[in-house]
Amino acid sequence: MIETTQALIAGLSQIFAWSTFSMMLLGTLIGFWVGILPGLGGPAALALMLPFTITMSAYDTFAFLLSMTATGSVAGDITSILFGVPGESTTVAIILDGHAMAKKGEAGRALGAALMSSLVGAIFAAFFLAVAIPVVRPVILSFTSPEFLALAFLGITFVASLSGGALLKGMIAAGIGLLLSTVGLCEMSGLQRYTFDQLFLWDGIGLIPIAIGLFAVPETIDMAVHGSSIAQEEDGDLGGVMQGVKDTFIHFWLVMRCAAIATFCSLLPGLGGTTSQWLAYAHAVQSSPNKERFGKGAVEGVLGPGSASNSLLGGHLVTTLAFGVPSGIMMAIIMGAFMMHGIALGPDMLLPTAKGGHLTLTYSFVWVIIVSNIITVGICFFFLKQIAKITEVRASLLISPIIVLVFLGAFAEKSAIEDVFLVLLFGGLGWLMVQFNWPRPPLILGLVLGTVAEDRLFISIQAYGGFGWLTRPIFLGILLLTLIGAFYPAFQAAREKRKKRETGNSASSASPRTDSDKKKFLTFGWATIFSLFIVGVLGYALWESRNFDFRTGLFPWAIGFPVLALAIIQLIMDLMGKKSGTSMDSMAEGYSGITKDVIHRRTTGAFGWILVLCLAIWLVGFVIAVPLYMFFHLKMGERKEGWLPTFILTTASWALVYGFFGRLMHLRFPEGVLLKWW
Amino acid sequence: MIKKILLLVEVVILVFLVPYVSFAAGSFFEGKTIRIVVGFTPGGGFDTYSRALARHMGKYIPGNPYIIVENMPGAGSMIAANYVYKMAKPDSLTIGNVQGSIILDQVLGRKGIEYDVRKFEYVGIPVRQFLVVIFSKASGITSAEKWMASKTPVKIGTISGSSMTAFAKMLQRLTDLPVQPVEGYKGTYNVRLAVESGEVAGGVFGGRNTAFWSRALETGDMVAVMSTLPYPNNPNVPLINKFVKTEKDLQLFKTSNIDPDILAHLYLLPPGTPKEIVKIIREAFDKTMMDEEFLNEAKKANLEIGPINGEGVTKMVAELFKTPPSLVNELQEYYK
Repeated sequence: MIETTQALIAGLSQIFAWSTFSMMLLGTLIGFWVGILPGLGGPAALALMLPFTITMSAYDTFAFLLSMTATGSVAGDITSILFGVPGESTTVAIILDGHAMAKKGEAGRALGAALMSSLVGAIFAAFFLAVAIPVVRPVILSFTSPEFLALAFLGITFVASLSGGALLKGMIAAGIGLLLSTVGLCEMSGLQRYTFDQLFLWDGIGLIPIAIGLFAVPETIDMAVHGSSIAQEEDGDLGGVMQGVKDTFIHFWLVMRCAAIATFCSLLPGLGGTTSQWLAYAHAVQSSPNKERFGKGAVEGVLGPGSASNSLLGGHLVTTLAFGVPSGIMMAIIMGAFMMHGIALGPDMLLPTAKGGHLTLTYSFVWVIIVSNIITVGICFFFLKQIAKITEVRASLLISPIIVLVFLGAFAEKSAIEDVFLVLLFGGLGWLMVQFNWPRPPLILGLVLGTVAEDRLFISIQAYGGFGWLTRPIFLGILLLTLIGAFYPAFQAAREKRKKRETGNSASSASPRTDSDKKKFLTFGWATIFSLFIVGVLGYALWESRNFDFRTGLFPWAIGFPVLALAIIQLIMDLMGKKSGTSMDSMAEGYSGITKDVIHRRTTGAFGWILVLCLAIWLVGFVIAVPLYMFFHLKMGERKEGWLPTFILTTASWALVYGFFGRLMHLRFPEGVLLKWW
Repeated sequence: MIKKILLLVEVVILVFLVPYVSFAAGSFFEGKTIRIVVGFTPGGGFDTYSRALARHMGKYIPGNPYIIVENMPGAGSMIAANYVYKMAKPDSLTIGNVQGSIILDQVLGRKGIEYDVRKFEYVGIPVRQFLVVIFSKASGITSAEKWMASKTPVKIGTISGSSMTAFAKMLQRLTDLPVQPVEGYKGTYNVRLAVESGEVAGGVFGGRNTAFWSRALETGDMVAVMSTLPYPNNPNVPLINKFVKTEKDLQLFKTSNIDPDILAHLYLLPPGTPKEIVKIIREAFDKTMMDEEFLNEAKKANLEIGPINGEGVTKMVAELFKTPPSLVNELQEYYK
């Protein structure tokens, strides 16, 4: 006990040593910018910074790396809220309500809520780290493969259930995500699944290009169509920041519960950040009395994921420190740092320094998390009003930089030009999904959890002989939770419908609003065609799998056939003119005040420009394509900008691509097909 | 006129001599940056070795170039191997760091290969990797005898699609040891958790990557029961040879695991790299392997060093290609 307190205090004083503190500040600064840039994530930045930490002491290194990680997600929340572009892969869920709030002019409030809940989440994580290491081992060890499998299904079903009125579409989307996760080399059989001979697809489709494409592209096009600015309503009081802070404390227990969910998820290897943000969001929805507010700017939809994304470090560090088992890529990188400093992870991390352990170091981590978050959040609060003002800048100035950053971020992850095309592809898909009211979150979750599910399914079968594992207690418990979570909302919705009918409210079928508001410039037929397209894709996937052997095909078949059946049902419903309810993921109100022609023109224009940039990158490489694109888009786009902003933005974009990414980060840009011929 | 011709001759001589002069003087590398392209993600074993190398090798190359590490993960380092192989102009500034399994991949004729391992210029390997099978005390298998005596197949966890999985399957079919391979784990850490939680009795691990269990191995909570090369921590651990029944079977193990594992951490240069450069890089590598600072750092980071030089590696690669086709066919069964 005394040793613990001593170590706690020693840890605290350690971080205020000048070198350590300045490293923490530096890490905070870098982490902030990494988080803000979409796609460019924690792992990439950590890996890049690793070499620089060799000459630093252990305390300084970890202060630097941890503060970088800790502040990354806070900054990512900002990008997600303001632009609807995922700043980090762990800050996607917050887009649904956070960006909706920004569009309503409540950006300040959303940011305040996100920051404050992040801070609370971080403190929770820090305390968890401080107390949990000794006790967590048996917990982790009791989660074997069947339990992981159950958790994967829990995650997917919860999120599909978020689809509310569009449950069928949500389940199909989840199924598509699961099938997408099978793309790549099936390691157990050495067979390629859906890779079309592209080596780049061997390890599967990356999460980042899909998340960016699905969410960022439709949002940006939406911005282009509206033409005004992100904030489409004047809320007047940007000082809503303080309101956001208050909201955090009004919903304090929600914030704590979401932090707990995230911490728990991050304890288990493989489940981490992407899953927990959606579980937190789902929980926020489920625990609210008025679920219809979600997706349109409910502050709880910001508080949940905000808190979750920042408490991940707690669980991650506990598993990594206590076990030496990295629970995610970032932890693997941090472990590399430990190795370089000659520190072996494991029980030694809990031994007081006097006995040859690293307890003080461990507790210094606790303090780093708390202090760096306080610093980030503190600084952000000063500038929040200014930051929020971006939502008032006219869209035409913002769109090109956002698109550029989107493509850069997608490319930077694996230095693969194909990721740029993937963004284009999934951007198109995402836009279509929004138009036809298909929820996107289940697709992402299916993608992320599919691999976990499949691997664990096979291990379970091998290790527990056939299907004996189906009777394990924890497994059954989680399954029960899943079923409740999945069917309860549908059950509730049915009950409410019955109530409405009983009180004589006139029928509005299942949807609170008819589709005519959401039709924009599309006719009824398009929705059916899209469903047909989905059926076609699923059918093709199953056809392609006809040559798979049992091991390779089990998962695709187990998912593919039921989902195809659901898709056909959906198609029939569309043909019969039955409209589904709205999901959380529908974008805000329709385009009031803009004529169909204008919508048409602006949408085609927006797509066209994105296509042009893609093509340019392919033909002449990033370094030339980006400034050219900026220049022409600003000058010839929907709204012609003046020379000064054009010049500034073009030069800045060139500096970013060439100077920052090219030279500083050693990103290798492919030459561009045309240039190779020279 | 004569003056002009003389001038032209001088220019021609200079243009052709200068590169050689600068090789000799070592100023080719001056001010340049060499990059090591690692076929795996940052933070892992390959990456760590490369970063340690990058920090110390520069001083042994004339001109003291700066050395950086780039990660190009994917397809078990096949993507990086393809990339280094296809470099249009070997710029003498790129060193590839890929996994020895790419050699086996070519021997087995796997798809996606765009390289010919026999044409790479090999720099060397820093350590000879091997496999070790470790069981938990709780599983009851604390020796090879107990394993052999087990009445039911013993569950052994392996990483999907790796040579470890092939190894486990080969143990099952070619030896009398009762084995039930359980594959599907994504990485060493997952296998480790599975052993500790009792999901499997033991696992196949890289012999140089068991530092996480150093304490458990000391106390006997984890027991190494068999290995493919002598296990430094415990020389009493029996070798695979003891359990193999025929010469041909031993050759199978040798081609599938023992040799490629030895070559696990491959450092190579693109084909067509000028001989002088290959020589310089090889020498720098060899010297770094004996450099005191490098060795100290490696020791602290638990990186074992036991190198083979470029020529030795080239010989081993050539040997692997002498595997008779019948053996190759049989091997392919285990890599399905």
